[in-house]
Amino acid sequence: MDWGKLKFFLGEVGSNFTRNAAMQLTAIGTVAVTVVLLGAFLYVRDTLASFGTGMLSKIEVAVYLNDDVDDARARTIAVRFAQDRRIWGATYVPKRDGLRRMKSVLGKDFDTSLLTANPFPNAFHVRVRRPGDVPAVAASIAKYPGVAKTDYAADTVTKLLRIADLLGRVGLIMIGLLVVTAAIIIANTIRLTVFARRREIAIMQLVGATNMYIRMPFIAEGLLAGLLGAGLALGILYIARLELVPKLAATIAFVPFHANEPLLAGECLAVGATVGFVASWFSVGRYLRV
Amino acid sequence: MISLRGVTLTYPNGVRALDDVDLEVAKGSFVFLVGHSGTGKSTLLKLLYREMRPTSGEVTVDNIRVDRLRRSKVPALRRNIGVVFQDFKLLSHKTVWENVAFALQVTGANTKDVKRQVPRSLDLVGLSHKSRMLPSELSGGEQQRAAIARALVNNPKILLCDEPTGNLDPSNTTEIMELLQRINLKGTTVLVATHNAAVVDRMRRRVVRLEDGRVLHDDERGYYFRGLGQTQVLSG
Ligand SMILES: Nc1ncnc2c1ncn2[C@@H]1O[C@H](COP(=O)(O)OP(=O)(O)OP(=O)(O)O)[C@@H](O)[C@H]1O
Ligand SMILES: [Mg+2]
Repeated sequence: MDWGKLKFFLGEVGSNFTRNAAMQLTAIGTVAVTVVLLGAFLYVRDTLASFGTGMLSKIEVAVYLNDDVDDARARTIAVRFAQDRRIWGATYVPKRDGLRRMKSVLGKDFDTSLLTANPFPNAFHVRVRRPGDVPAVAASIAKYPGVAKTDYAADTVTKLLRIADLLGRVGLIMIGLLVVTAAIIIANTIRLTVFARRREIAIMQLVGATNMYIRMPFIAEGLLAGLLGAGLALGILYIARLELVPKLAATIAFVPFHANEPLLAGECLAVGATVGFVASWFSVGRYLRV
Repeated sequence: MISLRGVTLTYPNGVRALDDVDLEVAKGSFVFLVGHSGTGKSTLLKLLYREMRPTSGEVTVDNIRVDRLRRSKVPALRRNIGVVFQDFKLLSHKTVWENVAFALQVTGANTKDVKRQVPRSLDLVGLSHKSRMLPSELSGGEQQRAAIARALVNNPKILLCDEPTGNLDPSNTTEIMELLQRINLKGTTVLVATHNAAVVDRMRRRVVRLEDGRVLHDDERGYYFRGLGQTQVLSG
């Protein structure tokens, strides 16, 4: 390793970098804002996705039986469940349990003194192996003799997932626009540096530096701006993660706040670096005319 | 070493800066390029280091067809050609040493070579004692010597000088010309475009006179004005 060579190169990058300090800070700031939004977005998306699939896997099909179906007839229905391979299991919930369950869920807000009769029919709670099969299973059970109706919460969940998906698309477009903005600002910064260094560049060309060599410090500069911006953003996201997520988790208890954080951090850094690299590559190529 | 055959160069604005120029320069020779302002001296030099391509004709430098040279091969050509200008083109924020080293560093030379060649080049031009100074702390003559040191640090076979003494007083001019002569004696082919009649007449080297983009005269041991000789010298 030739340390003198490295030192010279880093010196050139450093003097590039500090020459347009204000512009560099703007570039870094833009990348940081973009990456903060990107990171928050990815985090929320991960959380929603795991929330949604978690819900889906817990979906049960509620099978309400006709009033005239007694426990014995219910048992024959249970046998049919066992023959359906899509069904993982079923729990029988007789009238009295239904009422008790409701009480335990709603607690003392549920005033039973107003009830003259038990409004709950006999029912099954059927669990399906694959969340995707829920609608079909519900439909086929509905046709069993003795079954009044079937019900499942999948509608709400699939709707939720669809909304999350839509939000995801809109978010991605916005982040895409921000990435483009950041790229333009970096490209412009590099262009200013190229302009500020036109004498050096002219001399480099005169003494026989290769185009690649002339480009390198500028590309390193763009890469550095992208990485610094992304690094700054990760710092902000980390603090937000420490401060905000516990509070949110306490407020919305049923949502499991969860994301693959190292992977997210890696993605954020990669986006910053890529934006810096690509923007400076094109900018130098365009303005250097070497 | 250098050969131009039927070289014509027309600028995009229609100005014909060179018109069917033929010129042969032998290895190790010293040639003055003279002529009125705007007769194509600078343009001719630019063709040699591939700053430009001729509109037609052949340009050969050190057996390389420069007019046909691919872009990617230009850096290699330029490492073989030192170029010096009237305005020195030194980097003001770098010391003399750094300016000279720059030419090596940006061509990827390793530190060992930089440490060996820079002092040698500075020594050749007599600037070793001022290597830590900035260009602004030097006289015009010293700045030009620094520029020459930079042009030579790669050990080029050819040194091209475009008005190297245009900004200098007579005594600095003399110093620079003596330096160029010494460099030529070491084997480097030297081409000097100049308006300085006194210098040309004193040195009595080959003189190529351009007129409206054509070679008007080409004399071994010539004078700035053909046939008039030193009677025309205005000052020494
Ligand atoms: N980039 C350019 N575009 C258009 N015309 C140009 C360009 N450079 C030079 N010329 C024209 O080409 C002609 C030759 O110019 P050149 O610079 O080679 O002359 P020169 O002999 O070096 O002059 P001087 O002694 O003043 O330096 C001139 O008429 C000039 O106006
Ligand atoms: Mg000129």
